[in-house]
Amino acid sequence: MSDKKKQITRRSFLKTAAAATGTATIAGCSGGLLGSSEAFALEFQEYFKEHYRLMTDEERTDTIERLERLSEIKKNTTIDIDSTKPQENVLYGYAFNVTRCEGFMECVDACVKENNLDRESKNQYIRIFEMENGEMLPDQGDGKFFHQVPRKGHFYMGVQCFQCENPPCVKACPTKATWKEKDGIVVVDYDWCIGCRYCMAACPYWGRRFNWNQPQIPKKEVNKKQHYLGNRSRVRGMMEKCTFCIQRSRKGKVTACVEACPTGARVFGNLLDPDSEIRFVLKNKKVYRLKEDLGTDPKFWYFND
Amino acid sequence: MYLLRWKVFLKERTVNRIGVVNLKNLKKTKYFFGIVIITFFAFTAFSSEGVVSKIKNANKKTDKSTGIHKSISLPKNVVKVKEDYQGGVFYTKSRKSEITRYKCSSCHKTQKKVMKNAANITHGDIQVVHGGKNKLECNTCHSKNDRNFLVTAKGTKVDFDHVYNLCGQCHFRQKKDWIGGAHGKRITYWAGERAVKNCTACHNPHSPLFKKRWPKTYSVPLK
Repeated sequence: MSDKKKQITRRSFLKTAAAATGTATIAGCSGGLLGSSEAFALEFQEYFKEHYRLMTDEERTDTIERLERLSEIKKNTTIDIDSTKPQENVLYGYAFNVTRCEGFMECVDACVKENNLDRESKNQYIRIFEMENGEMLPDQGDGKFFHQVPRKGHFYMGVQCFQCENPPCVKACPTKATWKEKDGIVVVDYDWCIGCRYCMAACPYWGRRFNWNQPQIPKKEVNKKQHYLGNRSRVRGMMEKCTFCIQRSRKGKVTACVEACPTGARVFGNLLDPDSEIRFVLKNKKVYRLKEDLGTDPKFWYFND
Repeated sequence: MYLLRWKVFLKERTVNRIGVVNLKNLKKTKYFFGIVIITFFAFTAFSSEGVVSKIKNANKKTDKSTGIHKSISLPKNVVKVKEDYQGGVFYTKSRKSEITRYKCSSCHKTQKKVMKNAANITHGDIQVVHGGKNKLECNTCHSKNDRNFLVTAKGTKVDFDHVYNLCGQCHFRQKKDWIGGAHGKRITYWAGERAVKNCTACHNPHSPLFKKRWPKTYSVPLK
């Protein structure tokens, strides 16, 4: 072991070299050519950090402190980034009542605000499809309706990331920037994503979103309660997706869409708790999953009354 | 007959393929393949770790006094529901604390005092659109004798906080779903003690159907 420790790995060599160059540059430009030298140093350290899953707890707190400080310096907003781990004996599941949903789109709006989504390109994790009675797949429905709802002879079907138990997007990722957490949530490490969009192509449900431009959020509307794997600020050219509001659900709260739903069409809970609402739905209602034949094993069920 | 034909067919096939007729060997290979197929199916059946099997195996009750459940306290103004759900006791939001003019008996007293236009001022905004053709009247649900209570068709008094017992007379299916968790929703937390919204939190009891309106936002086509 001691021999191994002494060896200099390529990564650590690069890190030290880079840090040395960085400090030299900062020292050279202490006059303020590069703006705030503190921000520059922090960004430099951020650039050479480890993959989130390989970080120790200390490294995690370090990077979170850096990100919080960076946001304070650059955007002048104090944020609180959280890194709560998955709880024991918890597997999140979701059910959507097709009969109850009336297409008011309150969930979409709440999701955009909760997850700090780009307002410019109207990025949304949830899509509500207006479908004629008798249709089964959202491909046949109208995803961009805008008229008074509910419309006669139609029903509404919400689609978002289904947090598959056997996620094809994870298999497609070449940099392992996306993975399934122990509580069943598929997350993205935004700093390791290279934006190749392979996962977007692999997902049969259109569950993933790509940042075509730098996300624009009005300063007043920024949700300051963030999670490292959830709604912290993202940059242009990487993937993001619904994380069942990881910053909320890991604290015991229901997701933003569930809380916003005016008709109670959305059910969220722990699949491993036999008394939970979601288990009641699975036991007592006619449930089905979208494209179940693909074997992706989504944890998102549709049901009707 | 068919069996014989089949045997002949197999024989011919073996002849064609291997060039040697040996029924005994053929039988052995058949058994071998059979065993392989059976073991394959058995293996896939036992090794499948899908969500469904995970759910089916999870039957242990969660201890609400440990982990995340411990840190979550009940919201304010909740009352214990008179019926149990599959996990035992649960709570619902109190209604009485939300009614601005409760207690009703502060106006509706036994002694007669006539005020001009009083009903119109206080309850004029109420429009009853409930019950379809057999439109409901005030006293279908509100008690005539004790104004602080609601009343069922059988004449049992129902507290405003336990309104689910009144609605459940007709909407018994919804009540069953509400108790179980398929109708209505929880207040803020999925963890901790179960606290759900009351019927009247979402439905206006006088016209319970959601009104037609514009959606809050719209979607643009995916790129």
